[in-house]
Amino acid sequence: MSVLSAESRRDYEIHRYPVLIYALVPIAALVLQAWLPRVMGRFAWFDLPLVVTVFFALSRRNAIQGSILGGVLGIFEDALTGHAIGINGIAKTLVGYLAASVGILVNVENHAIRLVMTFVLSLVGSATYFFVVRFLLGMSIDTNWLMELYKALGNSLIALVLFPMLDRTKVRD
Amino acid sequence: MESFVVRYRNLLVLLALLVAQILGLAMQVRRAGSGQAGNDPGDGSSVRLIRFWANSLVSPPERALHSSGSGVSWLWNNYIDLRRVRQQNAELQKTVDRLRLEQAALLEDAKQGQRLQALLNFQQKYIYKTVAAQAIGTSGTDQSRVFYIDKGKADGIDRDMAVITADGIVGKVRDVFPHTAQVLAINDQSSGAGVILETTRIRGILRGNGAGQPQIEDVIRDQRIKAGENVLTAGGDEIFPRGLPVGTVDKVMNDPDRDGFVEVVVKPSAHLDQLDEVLVITSTEPRFPQDQQQDMAASEALKGAEAERQKTSEGMAEKLPGLIDPNLPADQQPLKDTSNPNPVSRPPMAVHPDRFTPGSAITPNVPATQDGNQGAPAAAPNAPPKKKPTPPKPPETSPGPTPPATTQPATPQGDNR
Repeated sequence: MSVLSAESRRDYEIHRYPVLIYALVPIAALVLQAWLPRVMGRFAWFDLPLVVTVFFALSRRNAIQGSILGGVLGIFEDALTGHAIGINGIAKTLVGYLAASVGILVNVENHAIRLVMTFVLSLVGSATYFFVVRFLLGMSIDTNWLMELYKALGNSLIALVLFPMLDRTKVRD
Repeated sequence: MESFVVRYRNLLVLLALLVAQILGLAMQVRRAGSGQAGNDPGDGSSVRLIRFWANSLVSPPERALHSSGSGVSWLWNNYIDLRRVRQQNAELQKTVDRLRLEQAALLEDAKQGQRLQALLNFQQKYIYKTVAAQAIGTSGTDQSRVFYIDKGKADGIDRDMAVITADGIVGKVRDVFPHTAQVLAINDQSSGAGVILETTRIRGILRGNGAGQPQIEDVIRDQRIKAGENVLTAGGDEIFPRGLPVGTVDKVMNDPDRDGFVEVVVKPSAHLDQLDEVLVITSTEPRFPQDQQQDMAASEALKGAEAERQKTSEGMAEKLPGLIDPNLPADQQPLKDTSNPNPVSRPPMAVHPDRFTPGSAITPNVPATQDGNQGAPAAAPNAPPKKKPTPPKPPETSPGPTPPATTQPATPQGDNR
């Protein structure tokens, strides 16, 4: 993983996308995340809002936007679950912040880096989720880390396909 | 201070977001602790609003996806995911073809079985000895109505043997080979069979016409010949036994060559165009079933025994004395057999006998017996004894013989012309 100096960060351009992409992709991620588990059953090993959060956070290299995007997507996920709103919000806020912060330091054009970052951030999101549920809310939860690994792996694979597709929609200066 | 905010702006925003959400969680958890948790109406208005927004945002596309998902699934199953369908289709088509062939073969076997069963029943009941044969070929031309059977000389087939089916006559054997034979059908122009119309008893010769229909020739025009009348073999051709069904009269046409004659076209009883199994009459000696033969043998034996018994009885009668001696009175007969339960009844004696009295008309001049029974035959040995005297006979009006009273009534003398 190549780590950049503060001067060289400016050399990297900030990706911009059409407004429609900013609007539709998160919504599509929410809709598909709600619909695909009905089709795939227990094999729905992915978290599309998290992948989208990581993508935009890495692309925009803006921790505030990444945090807000992650928080909103997480809150909407919570709103659809019927659980207390904020659990996924907190987790994805943190993921968005970390993704944007790391995106400043590394070359996010590299697919391997994207794959690893998505994998790690998925695990961070899961850990945060469990932390909030277990320690902040004091609720009992079955922790199946193998499933979380599968989910992280699924997110990485989706990112491997989805990020290049979304890169094609970025606005060229 | 400003530099601190600018420098740690991202972190501050993160903390603000996290704190806000933690506070929101805390508020929700507090409501949950008071029994108003989750998505129930106890949610705060802001939480309900968020849930409403999320639902409004996700549900319409989700519903569209669901409905289109069915279409996609249908599209996938019926148009895209059709791997090996062509191969399966070909295999199924082969299977269908094979099953159709098997079905046709089974159907043909069943039909043949039914035909053979009917033929066997007919053969068993038929009085003449027959050999069953299978039609194996034709002449190959429409001009010649001959066909070949799978039985020949080795099977007892000979020339001019009649070929029939259970429905009616078919033709006669024209040529015989070791294991096959050629049969000339009755609808061939060179064939000939003596036939008779069942109702009108009109005889004729059956030949085939140019159209391949059997017709009766040399028939004098007769209005009684109607379509539908049965045609039977006449038995005079020494080929077909008498009385076999030939067909029915189809139509009657005037003979174009001879006035006063008609040609009777016959619809054959046998399906001459669809012959499969036939019977060849190999012997016209009557052949009876075993039970009938037993009955006939028993009947013959009974007849012989009866004749023997009758002959013995006659011999004995000649040697033994007669049971009734006509020269002896009734009470002196050697055998007074009273065992007859139904003795011959005699009419009671007439109180006033006249010329109609039995016996008086037959012997009018016979003098009265001792007991006054006039005309009683003296030879009647077992006549019952008379208990009282018979009244005197009224005077005869005519001395001549009187006609028998049993046949004609007496005619007054004055009316005799």
